[in-house]
Amino acid sequence: MQPAMAQSSLVEEFTAAAIQAVATVQVIDRSPANLCAAILQAVGDASRILYAPPQELPASLFSEFAADPRVRADATPEEVVNTAAGVTEAFAAVASTGSVCIDVSFERTGIVSLMAPLQVAVVAAENIVPQPRDLFRADVLDGRGLKRDFVFVTGPSATADMGPLVRGVHGPHKLHIIVLR
Amino acid sequence: MGNLVDPADITPRQVANKSDKKALLDAIRMTLSVQSSAVRRNTQTFNRNRYAATALLPDYDELKDRARLIKEQAIANSPELLRQLEAAVRANGGHFYLAKTATDADRYIRDVLLRHEAKLVVKGKSITSEEIKLNHALEAAGITVAETDLAEFILQVADEQPSHIIAPALHYSRERITALFKRKFTTDLPLDTGEELTVFAREKLRQQFIAADAGISGANLIAADSGSLMLVESEGNIRMTMTLPPLHIALAGIEKVVPSRTDFGTFIELLPRSGTGQPLTSYVSILHPPLKAPSFAAPGKTAKPREFHLVLIDNGRSRMREDPILHEALYCIRCSACLNSCANFEAVGGHAFGGETYSGGIGGSWEAGTGTLMNARFSELCTGCSRCVTQCPVRIDIPWLNENLRQRMNALQPESGVKSAFGAVTGSAPEDRIAPLQKQFFANYHVMAKEATRFSSLSNAVTGLPFVRGLMENFVGLDRRRKLPPFPSKTWEQLHRDQPGDRARSTNPGLPHVLMFADVFTNYGSPERGMAAMRMLRAAGVNVELSPSLPDGRAALSQGMIATASQQANGLAKTLLPYLEKGTVICVLEPSVLAMFRSDYEHLLDATTWEKFARASFLDPLQLVLSVAKERGTDLSQIFRAGKSPHGTLVFYHSHCQQRSCDAAWQTIEILRSCGFDVVTSSVECCGMAGSFGYKRDYYELSMAVGEDLFAQVRAAEQEGGQRTLVASGTSCHEQLWAGMGREVLHPVEVLVSTLD
Ligand code: SF4
Repeated sequence: MQPAMAQSSLVEEFTAAAIQAVATVQVIDRSPANLCAAILQAVGDASRILYAPPQELPASLFSEFAADPRVRADATPEEVVNTAAGVTEAFAAVASTGSVCIDVSFERTGIVSLMAPLQVAVVAAENIVPQPRDLFRADVLDGRGLKRDFVFVTGPSATADMGPLVRGVHGPHKLHIIVLR
Repeated sequence: MGNLVDPADITPRQVANKSDKKALLDAIRMTLSVQSSAVRRNTQTFNRNRYAATALLPDYDELKDRARLIKEQAIANSPELLRQLEAAVRANGGHFYLAKTATDADRYIRDVLLRHEAKLVVKGKSITSEEIKLNHALEAAGITVAETDLAEFILQVADEQPSHIIAPALHYSRERITALFKRKFTTDLPLDTGEELTVFAREKLRQQFIAADAGISGANLIAADSGSLMLVESEGNIRMTMTLPPLHIALAGIEKVVPSRTDFGTFIELLPRSGTGQPLTSYVSILHPPLKAPSFAAPGKTAKPREFHLVLIDNGRSRMREDPILHEALYCIRCSACLNSCANFEAVGGHAFGGETYSGGIGGSWEAGTGTLMNARFSELCTGCSRCVTQCPVRIDIPWLNENLRQRMNALQPESGVKSAFGAVTGSAPEDRIAPLQKQFFANYHVMAKEATRFSSLSNAVTGLPFVRGLMENFVGLDRRRKLPPFPSKTWEQLHRDQPGDRARSTNPGLPHVLMFADVFTNYGSPERGMAAMRMLRAAGVNVELSPSLPDGRAALSQGMIATASQQANGLAKTLLPYLEKGTVICVLEPSVLAMFRSDYEHLLDATTWEKFARASFLDPLQLVLSVAKERGTDLSQIFRAGKSPHGTLVFYHSHCQQRSCDAAWQTIEILRSCGFDVVTSSVECCGMAGSFGYKRDYYELSMAVGEDLFAQVRAAEQEGGQRTLVASGTSCHEQLWAGMGREVLHPVEVLVSTLD
């Protein structure tokens, strides 16, 4: 299989699995304008948006979005616990499960991805790996999964402890994923 | 039984410790009356989802093999791994503490918290912390502990022990949670839906997360090479516990340590699928704390530097590691597949089938290993059906562990002249004559059956007498509500010997030749069925010879009378060895005996004899018929025409639990369908009778409650398309279906033979 074809089939598999896990997925062509539009569309009329600048993707890709007046890259504690949406990058994603991998040791990425009811994760298509186990291989994504502190996020938080299945518990109630082609 | 307490008045805490048998029986009554429907719904959902999720893993079996190997090696190298881990944690900037006992662990954690002047601690789900009663220790020191997992929150409010190892409050229905919260909290909110309850609990806990001075989590796995933890959850509370407060303490048993973070790659695929049946749960965290990211400062406070403590507890695990049997329990990754695939567990949950901390089939070994042997009494509820064995991601032979616990508990019984005399007469091995009469009775049932069959009309008359049943109930605990199958006037062996030409017909040259094993259940219980099996085989073109009828050890094994089982197995092996050495295929009609030959004998025979058993072919008769037909291109529908069956073509088929575990059930369904039968199959794990289990007075109600799932499936199938012939493959399933449906039950061989001229 050609790399490009392999990648596009991974994107498809990823999208289907993420939807299965009750996330929403949007695949866009990579540009600051596209990304900004996609994020703003996802967050709707949120009055404030938490934002953790990326570690992997170029910050310039987020520049247009970061310029929006509602965006807080250094929110106060009050703001962290009282904001409707949080935007971070995901350094990897998993096709078979529809998961995104968020680095929780990098600055405020962990907290921003956790505290707001809507989580928006941005991942590059080339960083989608086939299976969860691939994150534990030295030859995949330069072995980043073996070195980092991260979390596989699969859908929004959920519980069945109160009887029926409820989505949205302590963690985000919604997960929106933006895949960059 | 003289029990006056209303089961609804029994609290879970009162019956958590089951070293006293009355607590176990009370717990069964309480759970059947109060918790059963919620437990059933939740465990059966997990169970269905697990089957679906693991089926999607193309290399499920290899993953299980790898997981098993990693755990075997990790436990074998545990001391070295702990040294490596300690160095790794310290190199990361964390603290490491290895606690010998529960008290050590409690003291260490309390002291760390006091040093930090921590007043409020948020806690993620940790069954290990239940084991060491951490909350009590901390609360005694004036520290407030907030359980943040919603299930643990419910348990904290209700003051109950967990009823399941991954969903500890799954015995609570939504309605009961509403009632509980209304009782314990003052609120005007209706709390009438899962959403409302979740919002209510979340709002309470959100405040605690923000204000917390420290977070305590468990860990699903720990990697020695890097000090990495893996934590599996869905609510996000564990992430908050580890991310928000500056101080994070992770607590786990020493058995959670694997060599390397690369090993997580195997377990991450297996653990969530084997548990809730999800490909991954919402959050699976992989970290080697302390995190580099700054901690969260509550509004108005300043952020403190992070500090991390890894507290590993031994608390009996090193002793388990040295134990030739219990060490296998250390491989457990606490996925809960063995709970959810267990019919008894599905009916009562962990408040009956569990102790103060651990529950389910594997729970007995954990309670015994970290506490005392008699705390494992609830493991009596393991019937040895083996459904869990095929589902365990690390391939633990859970029934074998429970049979050994039973043996050890038998050995604690007082000696008595009556028991040893009874044992000597009935053939218990000398070391098993200490076992309770009931166990010796069921273990040696074939001896009684043999005598009873000799004088069958008298025996049937006598065992039909109410006062005799009363005696049997008092003496050996045989429930008088159970109908005893009548003893036949002739055994299978005798019928076979008597039938003119039967033996001559069985040696047609040129046809495949098999040995039919005359198991004692069929020989003394349903000889006609045995004859039908042989007729079916001949009709399918197989030469068949009948073995002498010998006890196989199943009944003794299930009573924990391992010496007796081994004695019987070795005696039987002598008879079968000449056949095995010739390569003769051996057909076994009773699935529980098939499973003995295929797997349990590994524990009962010496290594060389077991080698020969392991290499031999032991087949269910229909499995044999299908493989012969496929090999020779025989069209079975030309031999067995469903249209000719006097029983009609509509069939409800319940396969036997051990038959499924031996992968020997689908062949029956395939044959019946290909011969033109319309087959509806059951989807229950076990009928509830499970050998002698359902005959016991103490377990009759539980057995019938389990059976109810099966009966309901029959009724549902019949509501759709009219009455169906009931068909089952196991002797005890027949009795159970008969008890539940009140009508005749056939074996598949009888159905097939009924189509012949
Ligand atoms: S014994 Fe096996 S199936 Fe049961 S919880 Fe442990 S790992 Fe899971």
